[in-house]
Amino acid sequence: MSSWGDHRPDHGDQASDQSPTGGLLGAIDLLRGEIRGVSIKTIADGAVAVPLGASELEPVTRLLTSSGARPADLFAAPSQNGVTLRIVYADDHDATYLVTQNDVAGTEYPELSGLAPSLFIEECELFEQFGLLPAGSSPLNRVLMAPRGEADVPLVTGERSVAPREVRAPHFVAGEAIEFPFGPVRAAGSESLYMGLVTTGEEILDLYLFHWHKHRGVERRLRGLTPERALFFVERIEGLSAVANSIAYCRAVEVAAGTSAPPAAALTRAVALELERIYNHAAAIAALCQGTGLSVGQANAEIVLEELLRLNLDAFGHRYLFDVVALGGVRRAPHHAAVRARLARLCGELRRVVDALLSTNSFVDRLEACGTVSLDDARRLALVGPVARASGAGVDCRRDHPWSPFDVVAPAMPVEGRGDALARIDVFVAEIEDSRRLIEELIGDAGDGLTVVAAAGGEGLGWAESSRGESLAWVQVDRHGRIQWARVRPASVRNWRAFDDAARAQNVFTDIPIIEASFGLTVAGFAR
Amino acid sequence: MDAQQLAAELRARSLSLFGRSLHVRTLDSGSCAVCESEIRLLAAPHYDLHRLGLFFTPAPRHADLLLVSGAAVRAMDLAVRKTYEATPDPKAVVAIGACALGGVYESDLFLHGAVDEVIPVDVYVPGCPPSPLALLQGLLVAIGRLEERVSTARFDLREERTA
Repeated sequence: MSSWGDHRPDHGDQASDQSPTGGLLGAIDLLRGEIRGVSIKTIADGAVAVPLGASELEPVTRLLTSSGARPADLFAAPSQNGVTLRIVYADDHDATYLVTQNDVAGTEYPELSGLAPSLFIEECELFEQFGLLPAGSSPLNRVLMAPRGEADVPLVTGERSVAPREVRAPHFVAGEAIEFPFGPVRAAGSESLYMGLVTTGEEILDLYLFHWHKHRGVERRLRGLTPERALFFVERIEGLSAVANSIAYCRAVEVAAGTSAPPAAALTRAVALELERIYNHAAAIAALCQGTGLSVGQANAEIVLEELLRLNLDAFGHRYLFDVVALGGVRRAPHHAAVRARLARLCGELRRVVDALLSTNSFVDRLEACGTVSLDDARRLALVGPVARASGAGVDCRRDHPWSPFDVVAPAMPVEGRGDALARIDVFVAEIEDSRRLIEELIGDAGDGLTVVAAAGGEGLGWAESSRGESLAWVQVDRHGRIQWARVRPASVRNWRAFDDAARAQNVFTDIPIIEASFGLTVAGFAR
Repeated sequence: MDAQQLAAELRARSLSLFGRSLHVRTLDSGSCAVCESEIRLLAAPHYDLHRLGLFFTPAPRHADLLLVSGAAVRAMDLAVRKTYEATPDPKAVVAIGACALGGVYESDLFLHGAVDEVIPVDVYVPGCPPSPLALLQGLLVAIGRLEERVSTARFDLREERTA
């Protein structure tokens, strides 16, 4: 049973009588009791930045979260006045991103996760990186910085970091339950991740994750680099989403420099983005077979996966599509005919593998009602990508915030309602088919080409829908053409948040690999 | 060396040395997840590590070879060292990928930037990521190093007995 899209006004009609940035800004004006000032800045086609006064942060957050805006990101950046706090809201009905910015005086700001629970992880990050504390908040988790005692890493601002607080929110294990430590070194080909499993032996009562083993401090490293040099690291934040993250980043830099990629290059970016989605979803299907112990299904899916990677290699010169997206455009363009013919064959083979899997009871039984994420949770935690769509939340920034060519060749955005691992594989399968269709429609005109990106100062926001969901990037370039601060937020940052809830709900140990595969996330993307 | 030759040589040497039972433990010291994807594909039908007498093991105590990816994040130091120490001698360490070799990150407060800053490395496999065939080639070289060690180990043993 699948519905296509959830209840929402068709934003095609709205665009005609409303300014593209109308909704949320109008609401802020109403709250302020004045017409918007000159201070509003466009930071992308479909994104605006609004400076707020210190007293406005809390009421505006309350207003925007209650008016249905999706809190997509919260981050800080060093500025002349100390530290500036930014919240990115997505108005998915109005094709707008709205970024509020506040200068923070001192080390406290109003607690935001009370109003927007999805921002909790970012609040923890703000404490670890900038020493900022939400006023009167309950304990924060450690998310990125490993507890290291004396040798603690200083804050981004250069000041000595505050003594480590709780490693994780306090919890209590008692009675028959034990805490079973698992990781960080895990099975062959799995990323390092520590799982604390609270269990009575089989059922998972509670679970917490430490991602910090993989924190490489990439955002700090980007500071002071030229945007070209920084792109090298941006691709390696989460290699399996290299295309999506680097498109988001490059678009942000291009806005900051007041330019954009030529249309043919934008098409090629879209083709690479969809190829990346197809191979990632194929890998997720193979991992689901591994989790359910179906080695024939796994082998068949992996044959297709390997062939897809070889297709990437032949079309773009790299199995994982590194170094395709460049500032101002793309470095390589695919050989059209070869891509089209091979992709149609491979997607057909994958379809046969999946049909066989979905008619295998032992496979379907393991996925059904496994790792369930409710629609409420998906909205509350502002989840993105296939995890959100499998729970009935139709979010897809290719459709909601389209950039060329997705404004012309629109994705279908399959949505399921059950929110379990089976719903997620259904979404994967439908998206593979849709991505193949998109590529066929796009590839006719795709080409290469680079516009020169001037080394000018400025600010920009970029986004792209990776196979895991919305990737966001915000960049501030100084007047010497160096990166003052760059924020790269892969979709994994959002969606890991739902993993522990999904694993807790009536699941046992052996469900964990299935849930992990159906989420399709990377630790690298979360930990950066 | 093409894939067929590579496979034949690997099979022959893992047979002579380990009776077709060489066990590999993988270790991610802070990668971008792409090296892990290539490692997983080593066991997939196109490369099929198992037919060559090589197996992944979930325990370092059963391992002959460590396959280490990633930029040697300092937070992983303890886990990397413990894994290395838990692997019985004779063992060989293969560092895979540009990060692990020191080609991506400079050493800073978060990471070492190269695996051999933390544990001794025998074989370096370049590539970003190294393709599964490159990984097989690296494993073959590592088996060569193990052969040397095993023969010296036997020699040492004989020395002790006669002494």
